[in-house]
Amino acid sequence: MDLLLSTDRIVRYLRAMNAENMKEWKIELTYRVDFVRGMLEPLIFVFPYVLFAMALVGGRTSSVLEGLTGVSDGVTYTIIGYIFMGFLNTAVWGMGFALRKEQWYGTLESIFVAPVPRWVYVLGMALHSTVHQGIILFFQIAVVYVLFGVILHVQGVLPVLVFIGLMLFSLVGLGLMVSGLALIFKEGWIVSEVLYSLITIVTPIAYPLAVLPPLLQKISLTMPTTYAITGIRHFLIDETMGVGLWDSYSRLILIGVCWIVSGLLMFQVVDKKVRREGTLAEY
Amino acid sequence: MGLKSERAILAQDIVKTFKKKGRRKYGIGPKITRDEYIHAVNGVDLAVHEGELFGLLGPNGAGKTTLVKCLSTLLLPNSGNVSINGHDIVEDPIAARECLGITTGGERTLYWKLSGRDNLKYFAALYGLSSEEADKRIDYLMKIMGLEERQHERIEKYSTGMRQKVSISRALIHDPPVLLLDEPTLGLDPSFSRFIRSFIKKDLNQKQGKTIVLTTHYMDEADQLCDRIAIMNEGKIVAVDTPEALKRKIPQDEVLEVKCLGHADFSGIGQRVYADSAEGVTIYRIHAENVEDIMSEVIQASHSARILSMNVSKPTLEDVFIHLTGARLTGEDDGQ
Repeated sequence: MDLLLSTDRIVRYLRAMNAENMKEWKIELTYRVDFVRGMLEPLIFVFPYVLFAMALVGGRTSSVLEGLTGVSDGVTYTIIGYIFMGFLNTAVWGMGFALRKEQWYGTLESIFVAPVPRWVYVLGMALHSTVHQGIILFFQIAVVYVLFGVILHVQGVLPVLVFIGLMLFSLVGLGLMVSGLALIFKEGWIVSEVLYSLITIVTPIAYPLAVLPPLLQKISLTMPTTYAITGIRHFLIDETMGVGLWDSYSRLILIGVCWIVSGLLMFQVVDKKVRREGTLAEY
Repeated sequence: MGLKSERAILAQDIVKTFKKKGRRKYGIGPKITRDEYIHAVNGVDLAVHEGELFGLLGPNGAGKTTLVKCLSTLLLPNSGNVSINGHDIVEDPIAARECLGITTGGERTLYWKLSGRDNLKYFAALYGLSSEEADKRIDYLMKIMGLEERQHERIEKYSTGMRQKVSISRALIHDPPVLLLDEPTLGLDPSFSRFIRSFIKKDLNQKQGKTIVLTTHYMDEADQLCDRIAIMNEGKIVAVDTPEALKRKIPQDEVLEVKCLGHADFSGIGQRVYADSAEGVTIYRIHAENVEDIMSEVIQASHSARILSMNVSKPTLEDVFIHLTGARLTGEDDGQ
């Protein structure tokens, strides 16, 4: 793998990433109904959770939740957690399925003979998925403001962006891993589904970490989503952070480096394996 | 044509083996058949000179596409070395791919939801062209391919021939010195095939001096276009030479082609007889030093069939292939 890249190659790879992003937009916008579905679906999913929680608590505020997190409004707590977890979707389904999708199109071999490393396509897809998720996020915030009266601290936007950036850094590593696994296991969606479910369980989206069994709490502390979601909610709705701000940032960076290195290594191993076995174009 | 001495493609002792896993009872139990190893490419040596139009000729399953995929870095050979313009495909695959333009087989190697132009624009970026460079190059390619009028239409609305033109344009987008064209005329109608063949020979090879490796199972195509041909069978190269030199390998000078309704027994006539039947019509190819000497025997032996036509010809590459391998280039071996 080219770890030491010349400026010329970096420019070329960035150009390739942008081309991948633009290509995906063009293809996506040819399926207009599906595009609209993609915008609305996350919101439709979150409604049952919110309504169920309101029915259980008997309203939108809970003193127990306030004792555990510093936030009494369960609806806002859940919605913010859910909306920002959409970035996990970008990693597991967007980036993870970047190459699998090319297999379905029949174009994987055509792009793999181009003079760019394979991981560039995954990063290009990461760019596309992130922009895509960013648009959905703004749309969702507007909708939940109208429907549930969710109000966020605008002054917290900058640190929130840092949290999102660092979470994405880690999630790119995850996306590379899933992307590689999806090339080996032709039913790659199962890998994505399992990973997505496991990470969702140990991330404090709709409940605080304190309600998890001790083992899951420990696992939760190795997930970038835990620090990112808690940090985002801290700046937007005053959730209490278990660890300090800089500590959260440093842990996110450390986890990100570990996940990126693991993702790249796994991706390279898988790439060699499929080229050795000749299963690249199979789907 | 005068060939330069440099080797654009050098492959040494390439072996590519695929494992076919044994079947298991109910899919999960113990194996009921053993793992099989298929030697798709088995010890191939290849040297293609700069500016040469080199053909890989062989029947389906001979290993041509596997070899092309090894050359293009899509497959890792089990052993052997390959270099493209001096770049080792394992040590520096990116540099090797920069020198290569490839068309792979298959209808869906382009994005059907994008226009022809958008497809080329995307691939131009992958090959490192700036937006301005890409636009110039695409304008040029669309013009010579005759696709200017329909360049903004989606690929899904193109005919097979038009898609193949876009595929070839994609291979040429970065103006590479070496081209690997895998069955470029497969499934095309005669007029598109003629255009593609002429473009490959006259424009790409003769005018632009590109090194081209062309895989085909159409013997006429290989015969018309290629400076040299490697005949492949069962993963091995059984002969490499110019088309004329290959044809001289046939010991007999003439071939009598007899087209019959029904079957005739020509065994023992001439040096060698091959038959190919379809829908009640059988075509016999009888190899002989002098066709006139065997004519009376042929007429006598054909009493059980009705002769539709007779034709005397020189040996073709198909005859060379039969002579070297005992099998036909297309279909099953019907040799008597």
